[in-house]
Amino acid sequence: MSASGVMKEGPGKAFLLCNEAIVRGALEADVKVVSAYPGSPTTEILDTFSEISPHFDFKMEISSNEKVALETCAGAAMVGLRSISSMKSVGMNVASDSFFSLSYTGVKGGMVVVMADDPQAHSSQTEQDGRPFGPNAYVPMLEPSDPTEAKRMVKAAFDLSERHGVPVLMRTTTRVSHQSGIVGLERLDRKPFQRLAWSHPPGRFVTVAEAARTFKHSLLERTKKIKEEFETSDLNSVTDTGSDVGIITSGAGYNYTIEAARILGLKPSILKLGTTFPLPEKLIASFLKKLNTVIIVEELQPYLELHVTAIAKDTNPSIKIFGKWTGHFSEALEYNANIVADALAKILGSKTPVDYSAVMAKAAELKKGLADRPPTFCPGCPHRATLHALQQAARGTKHILATDIGCYSMSFLEPLEYGDTLLSMGACMGVAAGLQYAAQEKVLAIVGDSTFWHAGMPGLVNAIHHNDDFTLVILDNEVTAMTGQQPDPGRDYSAGGRPAKPLILEDVIGAMGIEDITIVDPYQVKAAVGPMKEALARKGPNVIISRRACALYADRNKRRRGEKIGTNKVDKEACKRPYTCIRGFHCPAISVDDDDRKAFITKELCDRCDVCSKLCPFGSIKPREGE
Amino acid sequence: MAGKEFSVYLTGVGGQGLVLLSNVIGSACATAGIRAITGEQHGLSQRSGSINVHLRIGEEVRSPLIPIGGADAILSLEALEALRYVEYLKQGGVVLMNSRIQRPIIETVAHTKDKEARYMSVDDVKSRLSEVTDKIAVLDALDLANKAGNPLTENVIMLGALSTLEAFPVPDEDVKRSISENVPKKAVEVNLVAFDLGRKAAHDTLCNIVKCKD
Repeated sequence: MSASGVMKEGPGKAFLLCNEAIVRGALEADVKVVSAYPGSPTTEILDTFSEISPHFDFKMEISSNEKVALETCAGAAMVGLRSISSMKSVGMNVASDSFFSLSYTGVKGGMVVVMADDPQAHSSQTEQDGRPFGPNAYVPMLEPSDPTEAKRMVKAAFDLSERHGVPVLMRTTTRVSHQSGIVGLERLDRKPFQRLAWSHPPGRFVTVAEAARTFKHSLLERTKKIKEEFETSDLNSVTDTGSDVGIITSGAGYNYTIEAARILGLKPSILKLGTTFPLPEKLIASFLKKLNTVIIVEELQPYLELHVTAIAKDTNPSIKIFGKWTGHFSEALEYNANIVADALAKILGSKTPVDYSAVMAKAAELKKGLADRPPTFCPGCPHRATLHALQQAARGTKHILATDIGCYSMSFLEPLEYGDTLLSMGACMGVAAGLQYAAQEKVLAIVGDSTFWHAGMPGLVNAIHHNDDFTLVILDNEVTAMTGQQPDPGRDYSAGGRPAKPLILEDVIGAMGIEDITIVDPYQVKAAVGPMKEALARKGPNVIISRRACALYADRNKRRRGEKIGTNKVDKEACKRPYTCIRGFHCPAISVDDDDRKAFITKELCDRCDVCSKLCPFGSIKPREGE
Repeated sequence: MAGKEFSVYLTGVGGQGLVLLSNVIGSACATAGIRAITGEQHGLSQRSGSINVHLRIGEEVRSPLIPIGGADAILSLEALEALRYVEYLKQGGVVLMNSRIQRPIIETVAHTKDKEARYMSVDDVKSRLSEVTDKIAVLDALDLANKAGNPLTENVIMLGALSTLEAFPVPDEDVKRSISENVPKKAVEVNLVAFDLGRKAAHDTLCNIVKCKD
């Protein structure tokens, strides 16, 4: 994190993550309201705003979900203040209901929505391509390639938004959002925060029926004007080398294209599109006219390829178009310079200096027997203990486990391989409702506290109302853990540590109508099994709350208070190698000593949650001397 | 291609401080007026899983990801992770790796089922890597970090070693200043000690096999 770089007075320069550069751009544009829900790869936008918020007068909320975040920004922008929200690709699905309407009503103050797609699904449930949201909602869309451009585009987006009275979508992908680079900083010239008087006639931001039909006509006009503006915008750039081969690209694809051309020693003309809705059709047409071959480099769907093909039909019907439809590029996974170089070489009949497939084949041979290291629960993670206790409690009961989005999603991975369904935020309860109708087995659902507040409540309301028979386990670790332990509505603070009212999970659930609530502490792993087992035997809907703070969050608080985090060790005399501390528990701090085959605890990794020591039937796991 | 380019593939296990390491180098580049970009991993992948950062220095680099076979060096804070990304190493590139191994849980679970199972060792990793390069240096960074006064400085030990490479284009004084600006205030001293210990250790290992700065 380089919040200090983001806060520099300027002018100057700083090494910034693209997400930090976006924050800096918004600050330079004098943003006044910030609202977001964390989601990789956008989380550092929220984190950076939150960290610096005590030093600035913008208002900020860490929202309960992306839809609320977008609506909060919309409200502020309707009044006339500049606002920004950020969300991951699938977060936009949640926000999209209001996003579409907001395009109809428009805004007064500048409003920017940053949406980051995740090719390769590094940290997402799908490889969703969010670009269709732009044209589908008639919202202008900008796509940067690097931190410098992202900062510049955020400022351009605020300006565009205010001039046309429309929110602006800035679309990135993981390799743009999580790219650091050296960014030029302009002066921070911020005006004091001031509330404005509501200056609109009644119904100004109401869209339904006749109002919607009227809005539709004006938004088509608006889009036409923006398109004209984009035809000559400096957010697009043409590099004309005089070659009859051209490449059209945008975002991350541009970076790989430049590098691939360099690898191959080629000098194609390049059209880099920064405004990807509405597309500058005349600019594209004039670029195509000079070529006999055009190659489209874009990750995920053939969005540009579709439009370029349509434009070429009139402009240059004989041009050869290469892309996904010719089989040279894939719609799956993220690209890299070597992937683009391979495709260009194939299309243009040249050769890459490195035989990438041969290198990959050799690497695969060298890596034979190297164990995978997928993400897993941290040492001390309460989820590991909860899942262990849950498996014990459910032993002998045939059951299906509907899981949800959060660190606990990882339970389906090797070696635990526990969990049967996972769709989207808060989906476990809706899925469980269907499962309990259709399946013969007992149905369990698990969800984290943050996901429950985010989109889980309607699922539980439905289950209570219909008396659906499943047991819901809420893993309450106090924070939105997976994205970096941001506070959720259960905490007594929000962005920048500002005080907030904490919601009490069991009170809310009780008030909703659940009478059967069992609360356990997963660190008391053996004591938790009995009450869990009894709860599973009762008819649902009922709820088990497994409550213990995220280990990373708890450790950070301990360090802040100056408390020591101890470690355990294995008493080799006592260890009889039952491996109860390993099997079904899988803590990364515990391994097997190759010499005596006994358990071994790595001091640097142990968090001293003591759960393994409670599981050991021989009592062989003890605190290290002097701790 | 323009000269003076340097791409290093940084790898390790989530929690070892890779992102800080790339921030230190990148900020040093900003001060020195050298262009640098990274492709980083944040989010789900941090949970005790394998993690990597692509760091690229040079005026003409554009891709935040190093192409296959394009890394001048792999710097690995954990030995197994050096092997996991071997395809990124240039033919004959430098491998600078920590001798520390964090046992993957999948390998450990296999041990509970098979008495004959043996963990992959540093020597195993080294011998496999030696099929693609003869420039492999192994450091006991944990030991050196403890000597520096804090086991969490393993990353800076390795950075100290990396900085001795002649091909590493960032001046020492900029790296040191960047360390001072990027680590927590009370840890500045111990990190600067770690940097020097890493440099010294490199002179006895790395610099016997690769050209180092004087």
